Amino acid sequence: MSSLSHGNGAEGSSRFGLRTLALRDAGTLIGLVVILAVFALLAPGFISERNLLNILQQSSLNACLALGMTLVIVSGGIDLSVGPTAALSAVISGSLLLSGVPVPLAILAGLALGALCGLINGVFVAVVGLQPFIVTLGTLSTYRALALIYTGGNPVLGIPAGYRAIFNGAVLGVPSPIIIVAVVAVIAWIILKKTPLGEYLLAVGGNEEAAYIAGVPIALTKIAAYVISGFLAALTASILIGRLGAAEPILGNLWELDAIAASAIGGASLMGGKGSIVGTLLGAIILGAMRNGLTLMNVQAFYQLLATGLIILVAMIIDRMTRGRG
Amino acid sequence: MSQSVPRLRFEGVTKEFPGVRALSDVTFEVAAGEIHALLGENGAGKSTLLRILSGGLRPTAGKVLVDGRELVLRKPIQARAAGIAMIHQELQQVQHLTVAQNMFLGHQLTRLGGLVVDRAGQERRAAAALARIDPSIDPAAPIRTLKVAQRQIVEIARALLDEARIIAMDEPTSSLTPSEFDRLAEIVADLAAGGVSIIYVSHKMDEVFRIGHRATIMRDGAVVGMRALAGVDQKEIVSLMVGRELSQEPHRSFATDEVKLEANGLGSAVSRVRNISFRLHKGEVLGIAGLVGSGRSELLRLIAGADRRSAGTLAIDGKPVTFRSPREAIAAGVGLCPEERKREGIIPLRSMTSNLGLPSLKRYTSGGLIARRKLDKVAERHLKGVNLRPFLPDRPIRLFSGGNQQKGIIARWLAADSQILLFDEPTRGIDVGAKSEIHALIERLASEGHSIIVVSSELPEVIRLSDRVLVMREGELAAELSSDGLTEQAIVAHAIPGYAGRSTSQS
Repeated sequence: MSSLSHGNGAEGSSRFGLRTLALRDAGTLIGLVVILAVFALLAPGFISERNLLNILQQSSLNACLALGMTLVIVSGGIDLSVGPTAALSAVISGSLLLSGVPVPLAILAGLALGALCGLINGVFVAVVGLQPFIVTLGTLSTYRALALIYTGGNPVLGIPAGYRAIFNGAVLGVPSPIIIVAVVAVIAWIILKKTPLGEYLLAVGGNEEAAYIAGVPIALTKIAAYVISGFLAALTASILIGRLGAAEPILGNLWELDAIAASAIGGASLMGGKGSIVGTLLGAIILGAMRNGLTLMNVQAFYQLLATGLIILVAMIIDRMTRGRG
Repeated sequence: MSQSVPRLRFEGVTKEFPGVRALSDVTFEVAAGEIHALLGENGAGKSTLLRILSGGLRPTAGKVLVDGRELVLRKPIQARAAGIAMIHQELQQVQHLTVAQNMFLGHQLTRLGGLVVDRAGQERRAAAALARIDPSIDPAAPIRTLKVAQRQIVEIARALLDEARIIAMDEPTSSLTPSEFDRLAEIVADLAAGGVSIIYVSHKMDEVFRIGHRATIMRDGAVVGMRALAGVDQKEIVSLMVGRELSQEPHRSFATDEVKLEANGLGSAVSRVRNISFRLHKGEVLGIAGLVGSGRSELLRLIAGADRRSAGTLAIDGKPVTFRSPREAIAAGVGLCPEERKREGIIPLRSMTSNLGLPSLKRYTSGGLIARRKLDKVAERHLKGVNLRPFLPDRPIRLFSGGNQQKGIIARWLAADSQILLFDEPTRGIDVGAKSEIHALIERLASEGHSIIVVSSELPEVIRLSDRVLVMREGELAAELSSDGLTEQAIVAHAIPGYAGRSTSQS
């Protein structure tokens, strides 16, 4: 027996698998606490109830996207098309609202369109057998182009107040976007941890050939991940146009990168088979808190970008160094 | 052979992987100009040793000496510079490139200061190297137009080009005809006469005895003997390879007359498997023997729904079935324990329990949610039944030894109520203790009424486990043999293309 496996054997309790995962989340949480502590010292007004809610609200959009992204990454894929999916769904949903379609129907239509965009991605990946990166790179351009063509490049202005009220409201002082995303996170957590789909996603991403032999419905599993991702991109878009009062066809530019960053900081492996919902939420909040804090400190945008890049790299290096190879 | 410095010396070479010791303290020497056979069952450590020699792996302890100097390899490419060439069982050539391009792959001849590949120069030198062994091969021909035997010669010529002083051949004859083997034997003998040291890995005793000077025999990662091949008995070598544990267990049969699975004229859309007909009874263990590449694994994949069927019919309990995916086969009670556990068997990061539950999740799901406690209970029962060690169902499966991973896969199918169990090389890469455990387990499953097919390259294993043995050859059934008094020779005679015909025409 090698010393390596021996060490693991001694450490391994019946909770071994559970504990290692929770450990990773604890690591992300420590990262968040450190960042909060640093800004608490450097940026006046950073730690106030108002600003903390602000951070959560600013992070909620990215978190919503990143939750879907995490499921896709766990399945061994990637979804680069979330931003344009959001934009397409936003402009269609916005136009429907302007033409007098009832609010719930317009929201549903937008969400359905997002899910359809995801379905198309999923079919190309799982049925046609193209690589996820290339498929979603292609649909990234395609969906964006459709949004631009449909609107002629102009924003859809004048989203009705009844719609905006839903996303600008608050329950017990908590802004509704935070509540919506919290509910989404709970559902995503249940999917990954408690449902057959979650097991299948982890299996397909962990070893597709073995999952196939074990009877996992590979194509359906992958498609489900992309549909969820597209749906959540559309949900993110409906929150955003509710807050802005306009649906721009260029909305969501580079969103995919923030979403991937949040997933990765939270412990998702781009190789597939691994990822954490709690970690992704914390990852999104880390990115949001960074930006908020730097803005409060009046740091220039260029340096904010630099800081974001560095935090991703540092998070990945820490992840690598603490993971070991047992 | 020990008076001078040996061409190659392994000194205390040990290699550990998480959970398994693949090599322990391997020491032996190969002289210049010697053809040294490396023998052992699958999983004995031969391939690991070759990978260390070729720079693909680094030993945990010990060293490799070439001409008395320690060989330190960080990358496979450095092995080539050190005069070591490797000829793999699966030839590693780029199909659409020419013979010459393949021979110079990775170290092209260039002109104009490295800007342009000197194709003419490459072909000239390739032709010169080929001329020493087989001038009929055109260096400008695409490699895919060559027969396997010719492609092997190209690999050997490439080794000559690199001025290799050590050539390791891993199962070079697994897909050669007898006359092609004769030619290979000549070439190898010539190379050795010219001072090249050959390490020759093969399962085929006859070949090894014809071609080799000495043999090192390995079992379970350790050297168990070294023999000069002249004047030694084949049986002695085989018993060294196999050890005694396996052959002593008598075979017990639990076969009934009830036909569980019936195949008629099965053919595959994606492999060479064709026209396979057989019956598998309840409680029966059916062995399938044959050379690597004879279509054994592909037949199992066909039955398990992993490959598409192009011809024939399959019936379970008398009812015709068609599987478009393993999922459908699993629903019909068929479970496959694949040969390459790492690639096709396990989800490495997931727990033993998760791996076990994967095909049967529906059973533990209510209201869309997995009832973990129910799954845990089922997993615990079945993992206890297969004697998982250490008994840690929540531990990631990759941290278990190969034998215990295999037990987990078997438990998976028991939890899914699979009545037909297909084993592809059930004990490959598994150490000897776990091996006999797996054998006993397969026997127990048969006694409990499961119908079992075992594909194995280890003939003693096939004979030990099976009630009947089917021999495959080039994608077809060559023979059906009863296991009573069955010998390895009888199986081999049917497995080798042209072999049976040749011996009858000579006698």
